[in-house]
Amino acid sequence: MEVALPRPRAAREPFLTRSLDNERLLAAILLAPAVLILAVFIAYPFVMGVWLSLSSTSVGNPGEFVGLKNFLKAWDDSIFRTAFGNTFFYTFWATVFKLSLGMWVALLLNRHFRGKRLVRAAMLLPFIIPTVLSTFAWRWMFDPTFSVLNWTLYKAGLIATKLPFLSDSTWAMWCAISINTWRGMPFFAITLLAGLQTINPDLHEAASLDGANAWRRFWHVTWPLLKPVTLVVVVFSVIQTFSDFQLIYVLTGGGPANSTHLVATYAYQIGVGAGLLGEGAAISLFMLPVLFFVVWMQLRYLRRLEGA
Amino acid sequence: MIEQRWKRWVFFYIPLTLFIIGTLFPFYWMFVTAIRPDHELYRSWRAANNAPFWTLQPTLAHFQDLLARTTFPRWLWNTFFIAVASTGISLFCGLLAGYALARLRFPMAGALGTSIFVTYLVPPTLLFIPLADIIREFHLGNTPWALILTYPTFLIPFCTWLLMGYFKTIPKELEECARIDGATRLGAMVRIIFPIAIPGILSAGIFAFTLSWNEFIYALIFLSSPERKTVPVGVVSELIRGDIYFWGQLMAGALLGSIPVALVYSFFVEYYVTGLTGSVKG
Amino acid sequence: MDTPEPRKSPRPGVNRRTVLKMTGAAGLAAAAGGLEGILAAGRAPAYAQGTELHWVRWNDFIPECDTLLKTQQVPEASKALGAKITLETIGFNDLQPRITAAIQSRAGADIFMLYYNWPQLYASALVDVSDLAEAVAKEQGGFYDVFKPSFQVGGKWLGMPHSIVGNTIAYRRSWFKEVGYEKFPDTWDEVRKAGAALKKKGKPWGQTLGHTFGDAPTWAYPVLWSFGGAETDRSGKKVAINSKGTMESVKWMQAFWKEACDEGGLAWDDSNNNRAFHAGEISASLNGASIYIVAKRQKDRIKDERGEPMVQDIDHAFFPFKGGAGQFPLYFSNGHGIMKYSKNPKLAKDLLRWLHKPENFEKWFQTAEGYSVAPTKSWEKHAMWDKIDPPLRMFRTAARNTRIFGYAGPSTAKSTEVYSKYVIVDMYAKAAQGMKAEDAVKWAEGELKKIYEG
Repeated sequence: MEVALPRPRAAREPFLTRSLDNERLLAAILLAPAVLILAVFIAYPFVMGVWLSLSSTSVGNPGEFVGLKNFLKAWDDSIFRTAFGNTFFYTFWATVFKLSLGMWVALLLNRHFRGKRLVRAAMLLPFIIPTVLSTFAWRWMFDPTFSVLNWTLYKAGLIATKLPFLSDSTWAMWCAISINTWRGMPFFAITLLAGLQTINPDLHEAASLDGANAWRRFWHVTWPLLKPVTLVVVVFSVIQTFSDFQLIYVLTGGGPANSTHLVATYAYQIGVGAGLLGEGAAISLFMLPVLFFVVWMQLRYLRRLEGA
Repeated sequence: MIEQRWKRWVFFYIPLTLFIIGTLFPFYWMFVTAIRPDHELYRSWRAANNAPFWTLQPTLAHFQDLLARTTFPRWLWNTFFIAVASTGISLFCGLLAGYALARLRFPMAGALGTSIFVTYLVPPTLLFIPLADIIREFHLGNTPWALILTYPTFLIPFCTWLLMGYFKTIPKELEECARIDGATRLGAMVRIIFPIAIPGILSAGIFAFTLSWNEFIYALIFLSSPERKTVPVGVVSELIRGDIYFWGQLMAGALLGSIPVALVYSFFVEYYVTGLTGSVKG
Repeated sequence: MDTPEPRKSPRPGVNRRTVLKMTGAAGLAAAAGGLEGILAAGRAPAYAQGTELHWVRWNDFIPECDTLLKTQQVPEASKALGAKITLETIGFNDLQPRITAAIQSRAGADIFMLYYNWPQLYASALVDVSDLAEAVAKEQGGFYDVFKPSFQVGGKWLGMPHSIVGNTIAYRRSWFKEVGYEKFPDTWDEVRKAGAALKKKGKPWGQTLGHTFGDAPTWAYPVLWSFGGAETDRSGKKVAINSKGTMESVKWMQAFWKEACDEGGLAWDDSNNNRAFHAGEISASLNGASIYIVAKRQKDRIKDERGEPMVQDIDHAFFPFKGGAGQFPLYFSNGHGIMKYSKNPKLAKDLLRWLHKPENFEKWFQTAEGYSVAPTKSWEKHAMWDKIDPPLRMFRTAARNTRIFGYAGPSTAKSTEVYSKYVIVDMYAKAAQGMKAEDAVKWAEGELKKIYEG
């Protein structure tokens, strides 16, 4: 064996070390596992997805290339347009609520009080519980016959008849938005709290010495420093919300009369329910450019902030 | 900062209490539903003796039934194992890739970083269909590995991105000092940078763990034996029978299914807070 | 709405049946039938030990049916066929993604349960089971008409019909009496009047028009058909929804919804009406027999306002009602399909053959107590019908008129698309929400044209 080694041990180590110090080689080695897994498990499905969207594939039938026909058909489909509009509406309001309420909670939690740790951990609970299961719990609370919310309001004398939580188009959408907010708000709160803790308290002190009130202190001192954190959270949240599936699927299935259908649930209905894989893929791919645009804008803004 | 008492109440205690109630009420409701006997569960909302907020005859029957009738502890273990393993893989990959993207200069670094992130944007709704192909090719069907290897597809981009941001906040000088002292680049990375990054790693890990804990559609498609299922899939597929739901057991399952993660979180929440800070600061 | 213990301890009902099965000659016959079945197929010893078969069904709405299959019939069949048979039951909504993924990746279970007209949808992936289907049909009095358009593709049986889950109006006898109806009002107009009178007393009709799997389509399609409406003409290529019949049906629904229904029903899922009914919130609802069966099995928990077991006050009435162009229900017809990628298609076929042996099928049929009926007509004569509770007896012949969506054209993949997009359901839902009947029909016409004529 020793003969087989061309060089003594002492000379080998620097060689290995040297080559690992080569940035390109090291980078390649470090990136390999991630790229490998992604290439094996997502590149093919993604390419397949794009191909499906350009073909007339249905379940069990390979189909042929049809160009952009599926996309045009989807665009011409009134249910798709409803779903597309709903998705924007849903994402926009859910994000607004998650951000504003999350910020509020973060500011509250940033103060010192007894049981702070416990409260912080408790606030995260909605984020932990599997969406499918928590949505079932909400459905149980919105149940037309057994709703605890209706009962409370009824006993309090605020309503005379049941509220149509999930049976009215507008109500149903807002119910979905509130559940999404309930679920996502803790993530915002804790992340923003993390951001708040890095802000030097001296800055606040200085500002309050200058006689700034709480609102102005927040606006002029806290907010500018929190902006980068906020943007990152918003990016993640927009991606998740825009492609939300489980919540609507469990809560309403897109009803009543498509008023809560989102792009993802509709794509599933077409692709799996009706077996039209090509059209389903096209519908779900409609999300990609939108998400890409949102992310690109936010990244650009973030870079500009960093650069400044 | 001395505050007047009423101010502290109006601006702090009352809103905080409302938030806590809003956040936790559904859990309380799950709990009450889970311990409520069936005959109380299905009473009219207008019934005179209806007391929805508590029950006079609490029962553990639903919990017992859940444990006796289903393989719930198995599901819990499966979910836990799958979540830990896929989180571990994703963290490992994300850690290395994040470091490379944040610190090393090499051609196409920007493009590669972006494309890793873009995979996070791929709409997942129908991805399970072509993914099923791959699972078959590798003979992974109905094994936990089907999920352990597919979850990283949405976890790696997230971890990489989060950790990349975190590494950027660590001063380069630290590394350079170490290298002057004779450490290799690899050595500096492992011995100097990674330990500093622990809060970031933890936060990415916790988040990834939550995402895998939550996943539904892949678990539904790729696993078929009842004893191999995960909590969300098991609970939904065993406790919902067409037009009959086992509400008590369903809620019991939901509660038991979130407790393990809740415990993990309560240990790590402070790390989580500091970890995320680092990652987004840069 | 059920007790938690389907598998834990046998209920009185189960007991009775189990005893019946175990003591009677039927039990012996069944055991012999298993063997006979394989001998008939002429291949009993040919199977190597360890041959495996994976079979996926939904979670039966009657849990006892699953228990029977899992604890008795699957082991029996495994023994008889010399193969390891695994039965997996999953949620009713989860079957389709599983089948889709299995077909696309050509790997998965050997036998899948198929709903409604799925053989049309998955035609290219299913094994021809004509020989089996025709043999069973011949032996057992012929399939109900609904199966030919739904389970036959190009003259071949691509699925083996298994059962039909009927539905019916479950109603509170005493409440209808209160508003002057000794007998259930059986025309569209009378039902509307009775419903209005009940709603005034705070006892509305409960119905869903949400995106549900069962109750909403089985309510909407029959209304359409029974008023003379149809999705397309006979060719299936020309949309014919915009007709006088459809318009009348939409107007009826609109009025009925406002005058008689609990308006919250627009979002109900398949379980809401069961619970609402058992809680005494609604006077009537279209449902499978599960409202009655659950009330019967939980006599001591489900009580009416007088504290009596509610089951005594529940009766069934045929839906759709009289007074239109006919009475055409949509029942949940289903069966099994053998997948082409399966390595053991022969064995799979033998399992289905075994399952449909009268001695074996009988057990399942009796366990379902009329909730599901057989796919063939000779079972109408089975002795069970004279023994079960009178309200359940209406299911005996109920399956005769059932139609499948796509009417008046053939039931194609396109009609499944209409069904899964909920176009017909939503047409009624939109009208019930206040859209003008003309506009709702026009909307549906536009959607249907894109699907059928596009």
